[in-house]
Amino acid sequence: MNLRLILKLAAIAGVMTAISLWVGQLAYTWMPVPASEEALLVDHLFSFLTTLGTFIFLGVAGTLLYSVLFQRAAKYDEGDGPPIEGNLTLEIVWTAIPLVLVIWIAGYSYRIYDEMNILGPMEHMHGGAAIAAPLTLAQATDAPEAPEAPEIIEVHARQWVWEFYYPVANVTSTELHLPNHRRAKLTLTSEDVLHGFFVPAFRVKQDVIPGRSIDFEFTPIREGTYRLRDSQYSGTYFAAMQANVVVESPDDYQQWLTDVAALSPQPGLNPSYDEYQVKVENRDNRPGWKTVEPAPYPLVNYSGAPVLPER
Amino acid sequence: MTEISLEALSPKREQPVPGEPENWRRFFSFSTDHKVIGIQYIVVAFVFFLIGGFLAMIIRGELITPEADLVDRTVYNALFTMHGTIMLFMWTFPVLNGLANYLVPLQIGARDMAFPRLNAVAFWMVPVFGVILMASFLVPGGPSQSGWWAYPPVSLQNPTGNLINGQFLWILAVALSGISSIMGAVNIVTTIIRMRAPGMTFFKMPVFCWAVMAAQTIQLFGLPALTAGAVMLLFDLSVGTSFFDPATGGDPVLYQHFFWFYSHPAVYVIILPVFGVFSELFPVYARKPLFGYKFVAVSSFVITGLSAIVWVHHMFASGTPGWMRMLFMASTMLISVPTGVKIFAWVATIWGGKIKLSTPMLFALGGLVNFLFAGITGIMLAAVPFDIHVNNTYFVVGHFHYVIYGAAVMGIYAAIYHWFPKMTGRMYYEGLGKLHFVLTFVGVNLNFLPMHPAGLMGMPRRVASYDPEFAYWNVLASLGGFLLGVSTLPFLLNMISSWILGEKAPANPWRAIGLEWLVSSPPPHENFAVIPTVVSEPYGYGKNEPLIASQMASTELTSELS
Amino acid sequence: MSSVNLDQSLNSAATVHAADHHEEGEHRLFGFIVFLLSESVIFLSFFVGYIVYKTSATDWLPAGVEGLEVREPFINTIVLVSSSFVIYIAERYLHKENLWGFRAFWLLTMAMGSFFLYGQAVEWMGLDFGFTDGLFGGTFYLLTGFHGLHVLTGVLLQGIMLGRSFIPGNYDDGEVGVAATSLFWHFVDVIWIILFILIYVWQ
Ligand code: HEM
Ligand SMILES: [Cu+2]
Repeated sequence: MNLRLILKLAAIAGVMTAISLWVGQLAYTWMPVPASEEALLVDHLFSFLTTLGTFIFLGVAGTLLYSVLFQRAAKYDEGDGPPIEGNLTLEIVWTAIPLVLVIWIAGYSYRIYDEMNILGPMEHMHGGAAIAAPLTLAQATDAPEAPEAPEIIEVHARQWVWEFYYPVANVTSTELHLPNHRRAKLTLTSEDVLHGFFVPAFRVKQDVIPGRSIDFEFTPIREGTYRLRDSQYSGTYFAAMQANVVVESPDDYQQWLTDVAALSPQPGLNPSYDEYQVKVENRDNRPGWKTVEPAPYPLVNYSGAPVLPER
Repeated sequence: MTEISLEALSPKREQPVPGEPENWRRFFSFSTDHKVIGIQYIVVAFVFFLIGGFLAMIIRGELITPEADLVDRTVYNALFTMHGTIMLFMWTFPVLNGLANYLVPLQIGARDMAFPRLNAVAFWMVPVFGVILMASFLVPGGPSQSGWWAYPPVSLQNPTGNLINGQFLWILAVALSGISSIMGAVNIVTTIIRMRAPGMTFFKMPVFCWAVMAAQTIQLFGLPALTAGAVMLLFDLSVGTSFFDPATGGDPVLYQHFFWFYSHPAVYVIILPVFGVFSELFPVYARKPLFGYKFVAVSSFVITGLSAIVWVHHMFASGTPGWMRMLFMASTMLISVPTGVKIFAWVATIWGGKIKLSTPMLFALGGLVNFLFAGITGIMLAAVPFDIHVNNTYFVVGHFHYVIYGAAVMGIYAAIYHWFPKMTGRMYYEGLGKLHFVLTFVGVNLNFLPMHPAGLMGMPRRVASYDPEFAYWNVLASLGGFLLGVSTLPFLLNMISSWILGEKAPANPWRAIGLEWLVSSPPPHENFAVIPTVVSEPYGYGKNEPLIASQMASTELTSELS
Repeated sequence: MSSVNLDQSLNSAATVHAADHHEEGEHRLFGFIVFLLSESVIFLSFFVGYIVYKTSATDWLPAGVEGLEVREPFINTIVLVSSSFVIYIAERYLHKENLWGFRAFWLLTMAMGSFFLYGQAVEWMGLDFGFTDGLFGGTFYLLTGFHGLHVLTGVLLQGIMLGRSFIPGNYDDGEVGVAATSLFWHFVDVIWIILFILIYVWQ
């Protein structure tokens, strides 16, 4: 190898590194604005992966492109290329480098997952259907009363509506309210099929499994309204099973709980049931097949507003 | 070199009739000729590819707007379920079995598969379970609407209460497909292990055969697990047992383990033969030996082994404890190492060669680039904290379509073009082929790249409607989808017209090395009048060495020719 | 162009052709072994399912069910396991070309297999839980039923082989059918031993 070649390669590597770092920074903008501590961690990881990935992609695809552009056979050249069959050193190197790389990625991911610490125990429950709504007050009594201890919120999924229960205040809602900068602790249960608890702005997701009660937690860090989506396919109205998540200051949150506790139960938001009514009343005559009936409107203290959060 | 075909040496050979127009009827018969069966597989699979593609067009039509306004939600759910099922079980697996069927005996120097009749039975099951699956459009309640995973409890919900419902037929079809695939796998593995021509040691065997053997080994250990899960699901659905039904104490997560224990390795059943195709084609069109042949050959089996211990990466957000997530993150990361080895080997094969960008090479190169991209997003997905965010979003849909359409389907196209002259005895039209390539490559990237940002922003998969914030990316994806629909037209036109009117193909139009190129195009019945004795490694480009013993004396002659 | 090569290759072709026919039976046996290996994974999956359920289910036995009676199934087990030795003896006789010895022991194997099936049926009839009674009922009938189906298949295969033994010249091409059937029988036996330990011993 002569010096010029080395310099050239170094220059190419430098340019590739610069591009990769730049794309890695861009990667932050491909995600929704981060609204939880976990989101910050995940975004770092994603940026790191994108940087590495861009470098590898440029390296390999660039080499290919060079070959395809500059190493074509001349029109009537029927000859063969140099009969190089391999190079043991090279092969060992390109086995070892990816190995080291993925161990690095796995180690980094492990640390981040550990730090997020989003998943608690998943208890099997006796007889899956035993947790039918309406939710009772029974569990409320053993909720911790310590001032900073986060309150456990019960998230209840059924085809196709989300319902949230705040045991301490004995409040039910179809909009999830969370205090900012407080660890949100949820227990996820489902009455019928698999659902998925997914708030893109928080970068957290967990399947909700009938017959189990799953502890799940994260920390919101940004006030605003976000979308909760069902992420695990759950049947006909799966796509409509969304709800708003409102992150507000702890004071506002407490205020909300007190205000709402005074409200008498009313039908909550339930878009899938609304849509089903359109079908039932024959206002939609597109052909379709028989579906599982959506659960009726849950009776809740607070229903929330049926509007999409601003972007 | 290798211009001399064995036929030329042998006066006693039978006349090659296959491929002649007057002989088309045998493609509709219970033929036991592996070449006929291979073509039958490919053609039938392609018909299902068109059907599955048609369903995809409706899906993309629905998704071009945020509201669920084109079809009813039940119909949408049935469409994506059937789309996925058809594409996997009725297109990808059968078409790859077709290629394996056609090529393996020719490449290893055998006259047919080990069990020709079993072969025919395995093939004829494809149209049977295909029809069963399509028939589910006609039963009350419509086809299965639980996705190609058929996760319970959704798959156990049976709103019509009928015994014969869409889900029932779905399970039946998948089970039959499994039986057919096991028959095929037993046959192919036996053929490769026991019927290689004299002299063809494993390390003189073409990489395509290595890859096919590795892939079929997966079928052998994976499919039974899926079958076990499917049987239990069927009993839950039809008899009322409680294996997976939480309402009666069952465990829906166990089904997921059964399902992915097979269905993760299944993605390697798909991609390994395509890796084999890449490994065959790059040396031919770059005129260089395959770089690191033994590494590439063995890495297929490393992948087979590792593929059995990574399945939980599809369940990172499911009912899996943290330690399990970490363990399977590590194993999944490892599987990218043998995959990387292959990619580097191909690049090194191409590097410094004398590249000819004919249609098969274009498809192979395009497939390689798409695969590179998909491999990188794959490693991202293996990182648990990131996967938690994008699991079950369009990011995953983007990832696997890059692999399955971008790499696998493009690799299959490459293979079809490359071996088309061998199979039919005719040349295809290069211009139409290039047009097909451009449409496909642009279509794939336009369709599937926008799915990544949509997924990153939080758009779940399997939705018939979505929040307007995702509309932009979905319009792009739909346009790409329609482009892919269009891209099949030049292909069909090319294949049909070339088969009938194409220029007659010589035995070895690409000056390729390999036993299949030593016989006439199309090969005679029973392939080899004389079973050749193999003396060299398979990719001796530029080395002027004889591949088989009977070429020894004539090497000098051929070397002058080349 | 090169007539010397032609002769050479034709000569080698003749030998290859002869070998072809000889090897066909071996291919079949090889293929059958591959199939059995694959088949064993189905059982393995069911076993894993059984273990997972048994160790994690909140209510395992159906209400009112205490457990399983072990005595009769144990006798059944002895019969089935011994039949593996009996079929081996039958095979030895065939090797020595003692056809009647083969038939006698082969028939005895069939009888023992049928006895096992009969015992299984009797046990099923006497149980006070069914297929749909919880996870225990489900897995019990699934495992024993799926295994029973294999025993039945084995006995039917043995019947076919017995019939074929009366065809003159049946063994000219080797004894692949007999070897495969016997292999299958050993396989069914081994599966039963695991199954017996899982279901009856580990209660
Ligand atoms: C570098 C190698 C690869 C890695 C590390 C990888 C990783 C992953 C991971 C972690 C997932 C699960 C994502 C999720 O559901 O959240 C996934 C999904 C998937 N991958 Fe890959 N992958 C690789 C290559 C492939 C190949 C070669 C294929 C196919 C030929 C493939 C096909 C699929 C499919 C079909 C799915 C989704 C199945 C579904 O959810 O319906 N992947 N991949
Ligand atoms: Cu996978």
